[in-house]
Amino acid sequence: MLSKYIFNGRNAVIAVPYIWLLILFLFPFLIVLKISFAEPIIAIPPFSSFFHWDGSFWPTIQASFYNYVFILEDSLYLNAYLSSLKIALISTLITLVIGYAIAYSITKAPTRWKGLLLLMVILPFWTSFLIRVYAWIGILKTEGLLNLMLLSLGITDQPLTIMNTNLAVYIGIVYSYLPFMILPIYANIEKMDGSLIEAAADLGCRPFKTFWKITIPLSIPGILAGCFLVFIPAVGEFVIPDLLGGTETLMIGKVLWIEFFSNRDWPLASAVAVILLAMLILPIMYYQKSQEKAIS
Amino acid sequence: MNEIESETTKLSSDKPYIQFQNVSKKFGNFTAINDLTLDIFNNEFFSLLGPSGCGKTTLLRMLAGFEKPTNGRILLEGEDISNIPPHLRPINMMFQSYALFPHMTVEKNIAFGLKQDKLPSNKINQRVDEMLELVELTEFSKRKPNQLSGGQRQRVALARSLAKRPKLLLLDEPLGALDKRLREQTQFELMNIQEKLGITFIIVTHDQEEAMTVSSRIGVMDSGNVIQVSTPNNLYEAPATKSVAEFIGNVNLFEGIYKGFDDIGTKLKCEHSESIVYSSQSIDAKNGSKIWLAVRPEKLEIFKSPPDYKYNILKGTVIDIGYGGSFSTYHVKLPNGNMISVIRANRERTSEKSITWNDEVYLHWSSKSAVVLTE
Repeated sequence: MLSKYIFNGRNAVIAVPYIWLLILFLFPFLIVLKISFAEPIIAIPPFSSFFHWDGSFWPTIQASFYNYVFILEDSLYLNAYLSSLKIALISTLITLVIGYAIAYSITKAPTRWKGLLLLMVILPFWTSFLIRVYAWIGILKTEGLLNLMLLSLGITDQPLTIMNTNLAVYIGIVYSYLPFMILPIYANIEKMDGSLIEAAADLGCRPFKTFWKITIPLSIPGILAGCFLVFIPAVGEFVIPDLLGGTETLMIGKVLWIEFFSNRDWPLASAVAVILLAMLILPIMYYQKSQEKAIS
Repeated sequence: MNEIESETTKLSSDKPYIQFQNVSKKFGNFTAINDLTLDIFNNEFFSLLGPSGCGKTTLLRMLAGFEKPTNGRILLEGEDISNIPPHLRPINMMFQSYALFPHMTVEKNIAFGLKQDKLPSNKINQRVDEMLELVELTEFSKRKPNQLSGGQRQRVALARSLAKRPKLLLLDEPLGALDKRLREQTQFELMNIQEKLGITFIIVTHDQEEAMTVSSRIGVMDSGNVIQVSTPNNLYEAPATKSVAEFIGNVNLFEGIYKGFDDIGTKLKCEHSESIVYSSQSIDAKNGSKIWLAVRPEKLEIFKSPPDYKYNILKGTVIDIGYGGSFSTYHVKLPNGNMISVIRANRERTSEKSITWNDEVYLHWSSKSAVVLTE
């Protein structure tokens, strides 16, 4: 009777993605969590073991909070976290402004163009993310395409230093994450009831004010979805600050990489990752809640 | 018919409030409105009635300013408004979907239009309270639209569109989403409000009963033009064409040949029978041309034995009886196969001599009750 409930086709279909998530997300995370409580040693793997079997049935657990204490005491890590949050926040806001404008324009475009315009938004995904970020080096560097253009047009007489600065990081993040902002906002505005805009006009509201009073408030679910989709991965971004950023760019993703690969301090790197996740859990949960609200 | 006609002419002597002058509207190759000319007067409750796709909503949207006419002019109190954007027109509209702002409370929805006019806030509150009272929703003022029933939403939409005290209110299928009982009740509420506020109402509907109940005049539309504009009574009793007769209420049509006019009235020879039928109404037609005689089901009498009349008698067989409580509908088959419907009030609770299935019956109408029509 019970097995009939559990092993029906419907549950089997739902079970597949959950098993996938369990194996490929939850287990690796638990492993990272476990390593974060270990101590670095010179061995393979380079950390002390978590469980010790000394004859009894239950293993004894050897956990140390040293890594966490170390991270909290060293201002480098705190600064890296704060700087990552700041960079991610500013990038998200810039992406929001640009993304909203693009999404709104696409909804106002003639129907026969919409498909093509949306295709252009997702077209960059056909090339590897890494290659696209590399391409920006070619554009932003001192002898790059941008400076070449500005100099030949006579707009500047000195090449601009954009490469290896925070500005390059912002450009990289905004460029890379723009589609994640456009698509949810587009989906939201597209399904908005057009008669609401007409009703506002009918009641004497000027078009610009209607946009602020009706369109924007009603597209908040789309805006929230887009912002979280940009903000959450941007906080932990590694590739963009590594390739485009300079010495001034302090981001936690980069710190994590250095701890892991240069210093081979797996426990500390794991602790950095766990704290990052803990920081992001709040916005992720908020995002989850807002999505649930949007569905109901 | 003549008394009814004079009522219309009396109205026409006033200066029209709204004038459509040779208005056309094309969407690409599709002509939604075709060279339409129509006058609507102050304080009218005017209905635009027609099947879906006849252009009635397009006409309303042109008045609100959401569509521009391709050709022609629309005048409001003699002034051309064709190029005025919707937010500058002194016209408000109640949308078919109600278009209530889902993120605002009932109160804020109603206040929205007033805020655009930059009225002082105490004045706005006063007007909002007034409107809430008018539609009896005072205790729901703090609710959001999704916390209201369909009927309540409909009333919020009405209150919002009336809040600015427009001189002209447009209503696009205002009762379409309500169930039958609520719809009938709301029809009378709409009429009361219209009378109380003295606003010109233009309502779009595909429901002829609704149009008949609420309107002072109806414009019957078909494929982008107005076929007939008249009072409900006149439209029903004196339709101008066969299509109007068919669209407004039920009608029995007899196709026949025009045989002139004598002291009884217009003579019509039905195609499949030898007899001549009469209508007291005259018609502008050539001898021998095809015309129709129309009789409403309730204007036919039904007898079990041949009645004592000299003309307008048809013999048939009862095929079906629809019992409707206060009345019954009889479907009578004529020898030529045509089905005629007859409505008879059920005056007695039981009747021993009642007409039943397969009875041979005789139908009669007075020549005054029938109208003759061309296509």
